Amino acid sequence: MTILIDRATKVLVQGATGSVGAFQTKIMLEYGTQIVAAVTPGKGGQEVHGVPVYDFVSTACAKHPVDVALSFVPNRFALDAALEVIDGGVPFLVLTAEGVPERDMMALRNHAARNQTRVLGPDTPGLIAPGRCKVGVHPNRMFAPGRVGVLSKSGALSYEVGKALTEAGIGQSTVVGIGGGPLWGTTQEEVLRMYEEDPETDVVVLLGEVGGTMEYRAASLIDTCISKPVVALIVGRAAPRGAQMGHAGAIVEGERGTAASKIEALEAAGAHIARSPSQIPEIIKRLDITGVAAP
Amino acid sequence: MKLLEFQAKRIFAEHGIPVPEGVVVRGPGDLDSLNYPVMLKAQVPAGKRGKAGGIQRAVDVEQARGIAEALFGQELHGHSIEALLAEASLEVEREMYLSLLIDKDCGRPLYVGSAVGGVDIEEIAERSPERIVRQYVDPCVGLSSYMVRFVADAMAVEDRAALGSVMAGMYAVLEEKDATLVEINPLAETTAGLMALDAKVVLDSTADFRHQPLYEQLETEQAELDRSQVTWAEALAQEHDVTYVLLDGDVGLIADGAGTGMAALDLVKDAGGAPANFCEMGGLADADVVAKAMEVVLANPRVKSLLITLIGGLTRMDHMGEGIARYVRQHDVEVPLVVRMCGTQEEEGKRLLGEAGLHPFDDLLSAVKEAVRLARGEHDNTD
Repeated sequence: MTILIDRATKVLVQGATGSVGAFQTKIMLEYGTQIVAAVTPGKGGQEVHGVPVYDFVSTACAKHPVDVALSFVPNRFALDAALEVIDGGVPFLVLTAEGVPERDMMALRNHAARNQTRVLGPDTPGLIAPGRCKVGVHPNRMFAPGRVGVLSKSGALSYEVGKALTEAGIGQSTVVGIGGGPLWGTTQEEVLRMYEEDPETDVVVLLGEVGGTMEYRAASLIDTCISKPVVALIVGRAAPRGAQMGHAGAIVEGERGTAASKIEALEAAGAHIARSPSQIPEIIKRLDITGVAAP
Repeated sequence: MKLLEFQAKRIFAEHGIPVPEGVVVRGPGDLDSLNYPVMLKAQVPAGKRGKAGGIQRAVDVEQARGIAEALFGQELHGHSIEALLAEASLEVEREMYLSLLIDKDCGRPLYVGSAVGGVDIEEIAERSPERIVRQYVDPCVGLSSYMVRFVADAMAVEDRAALGSVMAGMYAVLEEKDATLVEINPLAETTAGLMALDAKVVLDSTADFRHQPLYEQLETEQAELDRSQVTWAEALAQEHDVTYVLLDGDVGLIADGAGTGMAALDLVKDAGGAPANFCEMGGLADADVVAKAMEVVLANPRVKSLLITLIGGLTRMDHMGEGIARYVRQHDVEVPLVVRMCGTQEEEGKRLLGEAGLHPFDDLLSAVKEAVRLARGEHDNTD
């Protein structure tokens, strides 16, 4: 197993009966993900692409072993649905909703911490272990199995980088989207530590952006605790100050959170800095690590 | 949503935070019935109003008229002054600082206090960090009285009960109104007791679904006082949950993700171009949303080429193709269009674009370079 998911991972999908949920459930099933149950209040007893639908997470979990719940529930109901997952004893929740209120995220994070539930997101595309399992919405064809671990705040940017790597013959161990914030269930530091421990990952690609302070902490972790090479791309170099750049967390306030200061911190910590997605495979090839790039 | 001072103070009063008696003045006629002396404070969504002359004391109605005449219609930090808050002028003994915010790193509410106030907290933090007190609160438990004692001690406030009620009021604003920041600077000891002389409240717009009609009323009130705040393009973008930031270049940009949009923005600059805007549609955009985004971006007369960069996961390329093709057919698009498309359902999306005479790029960098080249007015002979 690489980090967080693998072929054997059993998935429950919340909100699989909506148009987005049903479409993505179908694509995940085609990818080989083991989706064992779906939950939509009031739709219990139905099926979606052959997956049984339940009214409650607890009834689904009583019938099936569940390792991870993937939520397609929209922002206004996201907290309630998440609490049901946590109370249902599922150890890992992937939260795709965008625009979850900060107060809801506080409650969710605290409740999850007390129950030892890992939360990925909100506003995340989920994660993919190419060729083995996908718990999310990544476009399948942009990813291939390999030994590079990718972690990203932005979903689309991770597809961009996955595509560049795959086209250059460099596969990925896992691609994890931590989401656009502004409160995160799982941080860059936590995923960096997982990749450091993961025997199937040789190189880590960190995709960050303007706003907030997470990349500074990631940099100090890279400096002190991460021995594997890290390639970092920070987007938003051209972002104006004070503007919200599409992610709740992507806003530069004063000197804090600029792309330049994050790049500086990461570079000082020994990360290899890329200025565009297409530079990432070039940098990895130059690292010349056996088995990472296809000969 | 950042509230104007009088809006924030109305919410403060509702939650038991003492504020000076005050009324909103919309014109000189409102000045006659005031109890002088008063402080006249410009109601614009910007800080540092005092230094810019936006806060003045008037001892009688004559003086107030003079001040009002000078302030109304004036620009203050880029906002036209359309209203003043006239407040009882109090005798201030000491100015302090107190705020409550959501600490995004640890996911908890955090009180930040200082025995000195009236200046920027960043300034205090820089000059005398030892004078700043921090107190976290477990959101599942709430405010506890030891926390009040701790903050009162650090801020040298003797009237703990009064400070406790201010802190409890701030917590209620956070909890009951979904505020992400509640800042009182200065919080003052006056002859009339502890008072919030200024008020800054930021509400969490994503929580608007549980605060209607309040949030809408606050927005309407702001729009009436500051018409310059939102342009037509921004309003249209907002209505469709699209992020639109106007910049000063000539390469229009639309992306289906924040990260990839920012990457494209950076690459346009690296390629020697200047972005006209940043426009991001979010992960759930459909055909209508992309068509609206095109309308918004193309309404900017400076745009000389339009780059649409799409790499769909949740966003479906068949939907994007449909929206773009429809827009191109229905409108006389004069600027050259460069589309980069890949991802979920891309075959169908490309087919729809092809039918509309568009030939999408697969590679981001090539698309960026093409858009920058076209904005410069360089045209390929083979086109």
